[in-house]
Formats: sequence, structure tokens, C-alpha cells
Amino acid sequence: MAAEAETFTLLPLHLDPSTKAVSSSSSTTTSAALTTELTALNLLHRSLLSLDTPNGVPPPPVPVNPKRSAQIGKLRETGNTSFRKGAHADAIRMYSLGIDMALGRPGWEPSGLVREEVSGLYANRAQAHMALQQWAEGAVDAECSVEMKRVGNAKGWWRRGRCLFEMGRLEEAREWVGQALEFEAGEQDLVGLMREVEAALERRARQ
Amino acid sequence: MVNWLSLVVPFAYLTILLGSLYTFSHLYRARKLSKAASLEPWFPPHLQRNIYLTLLHLDPSESGEGGPSKVPDSVLKAALLRRATEDIHRVLQVQNAKPALQSLLQRGSVGDDLWQRFLRAEKEIQEEIKDVVAEANAFAPGWGQLIFQTANEMAQNALLRKRVEEIQAQVTAEKEWWEKKKAGIQADFMKELDEDSKATQAVPTTGRGSDDDAVLVEGGGPTAAQQQGSMKKRKKGKN
Repeated sequence: MAAEAETFTLLPLHLDPSTKAVSSSSSTTTSAALTTELTALNLLHRSLLSLDTPNGVPPPPVPVNPKRSAQIGKLRETGNTSFRKGAHADAIRMYSLGIDMALGRPGWEPSGLVREEVSGLYANRAQAHMALQQWAEGAVDAECSVEMKRVGNAKGWWRRGRCLFEMGRLEEAREWVGQALEFEAGEQDLVGLMREVEAALERRARQ
Repeated sequence: MVNWLSLVVPFAYLTILLGSLYTFSHLYRARKLSKAASLEPWFPPHLQRNIYLTLLHLDPSESGEGGPSKVPDSVLKAALLRRATEDIHRVLQVQNAKPALQSLLQRGSVGDDLWQRFLRAEKEIQEEIKDVVAEANAFAPGWGQLIFQTANEMAQNALLRKRVEEIQAQVTAEKEWWEKKKAGIQADFMKELDEDSKATQAVPTTGRGSDDDAVLVEGGGPTAAQQQGSMKKRKKGKN
């Protein structure tokens, strides 16, 4: 029945005295939701333990720990340098490390920042994949980039459009670029790509 | 004396009247409350809250013989944070549902029961938030103001990571699809080349063969084949 303000359902929980990990003591009645929740709880607990704030309480989101940001920035720079030198595989590896690091930020750090970083890194990795003509990976990465940041991400939009076009998925490309133009109206690259896609579609229709 | 006696009747009348009115309203309200309480709750049981309170009430005697078996504060803090994160989800749901539900109720598209359930959920979540803030302040002074900020970021971050994972999960399937298609295009392209070279020798039967090929290619699109073809050439040129 309803969880009233003063009552709660007692769950069969058990705390390991040495590891302080919470687990369910009766293995037969444990629901899947409880198990996943307890895993998440133990994970969070461990990340809380590594904090060095006075009360052991997560700090407010706003002043961000600059160490991780600097590392992510460095990985991106290294990736960019490799890309410019033509070492695309190395660039992809660097960007991937950066993405893992950005996604590995503790949960209480601002999500807007994570979006910004991850979007940039995915866009760059998409470009590296495109340079290697790995259109499928490039398309997925560019989609990720756009998903994280829709506005002001013309490069991300364009890259997925280009990848779809190169894979011959012209209808999808037209739809995608059309969507992109709603966000980034008048972006020259996108308009140009749209024209290319339309022309290719027409050519296909005539054949 | 006579006065008092004659006043008894109107007083008795008034008492009975007010008493019955009070009883009626009391009964009516009690029935309404119990009816509202018997309605299905809006949200499923609050798992995180149950975990937190269970940990809080975990009896030291049963979880181990002697030793510091009381649940450490850090675990409780983590559990409270999980609880606050779930509350954020619920608050968002309530906020999103309210205007829509209100207009539906005005138009009579939904019953009063649903509205009652919703109001109760709203009240419950307000109580819940107050409770969490109080608990947080008990752990660390001033945490009450921050805990929901933190919880909000955590909820957003979790959402974001889930989305990224979802998209990235497509990568293997997409890659396989493209490999297959690329192989198909390449084979077609090679065949076309063969056909071309044979066609120059003017063998009449291959003419029909290339017609069939054109039909086959249609799935992938002949333009793509051309594209790929020109690309392959470029690639070869580079190498």
C-alpha cells in the first residue's frame, strides 16, 4: 500500500562489516530492481569515500575540480595533433580516452559540462573515423555528439550527414540534414551537403 | 426556574442538530479519506527510501556479534543521495503531469479518482523532500540546501550516460551492416568491371547479364556504387 510519511517497508538488507557493502540477505526474494539499486548504492558509496571534503558530503556542482578538465583538454589536444599529422588511429585512441574520462566524472559534477566535453570529443572522433573512411563508426559518433549538444554543433550534424551520404543511405541523410538545417539554418556546409544529397537522390530516381 | 425549564427544549434541539451535523461531516470526511487512501498510489513503492530507512534501523545486534556493526555514516549518506535522486525523478514527473492532467480534468476526460491520486502523490513528494532536507542537515550542516542540487546533477548525468550508451551500442550492428554492404558494392563493382571488359569483346549474352545486375544493385543504390567506386580509386591512388 501507499508509503505513508511515517512508515516504510523493511527490506532484508545486510551490511558486510569489513567492506561496508550493502547486500540483500535473503537471496530468494530479491527482486532485480533491488539488486541493481544496491549495486548503484555501493558504487556511489565508494566514490563518496574517495572524497576529501570536510563532511564526506559531495561538494556543490559549481566549482569544478580543474584536474580532470585539464586532463581531458590535454587528451583532446594530443588527439588533434595526431589527427593533423595523419595518425588517425592514434587520434581515435586519444579521443576515446578523453571520452571515457569525461564520462567518468563523478555524478555530482555539472552535467552541462559533461555534455559540452563529450560532444566535442565525439565530433572529433567522428572526423578521425571519417578520415579512415569508417563511415559507420563516424555516423554513430557524430550522432552521439549531436545528441549531447544540438544547438551550435553544425560540425556534428554535418559529419553524420556526410557519413550517411557516403554509405548511400540517401533518404536518411536527407532527413538528417533537413533536421540539422532547422537547428543551424543558413550553415553553408549543411546547405551544400543538402544540395549534394538531393542531386544524388534525383540521379538515383532517374536510373 | 421556569425560565430554565422552558429553555431546555431549544437547547436540546440545538445540541442534537449541531451534534448530528458534526457527526455527519466527521463520518463523511473520514470515509472520503479512507476512499482516497484505498486508491492506488501514483508512484510505485519508493525503493531508495525503503533502503535508506532500513539501513537507518538496521539492528546492530542482529548483523554481527559485537564490533562496530552500526551502519557507517558514509553508507547512509550514499543511500540518502540515491533517495534524493529518485525524488528528483518524481518531482519532475509530477511537474510535467500537472498541467496536462488539469486540462484533462477540466474537460472531463479523466475521472476524479485520478486527480485525487495525483494530489496525494504531490503532497507525499513535498513531505518526502522536507524529510530528505532534514535528514541531510542532520548529517552535515548546510547539506540540506545542496543535496537536491547534487541529486539533480546526478539524475541528469545518469540520463546522459544512458543515452550515450544506447547510441554507442549500435556501433557493432552498424559496422557489420556497412561491411556487408561494402563487400556487396565491391563485388558488384568488380563484376561491372568484368562485364565492361567482356562487353568490349562484344559477347551478346553478357549484355543481358548486366541488366540483371542493375536490378540487384538497386537495393544499395547505383549512385552509392559509383561513389564507392570513385572512392576506391582515390584510396588506391593514395596508397
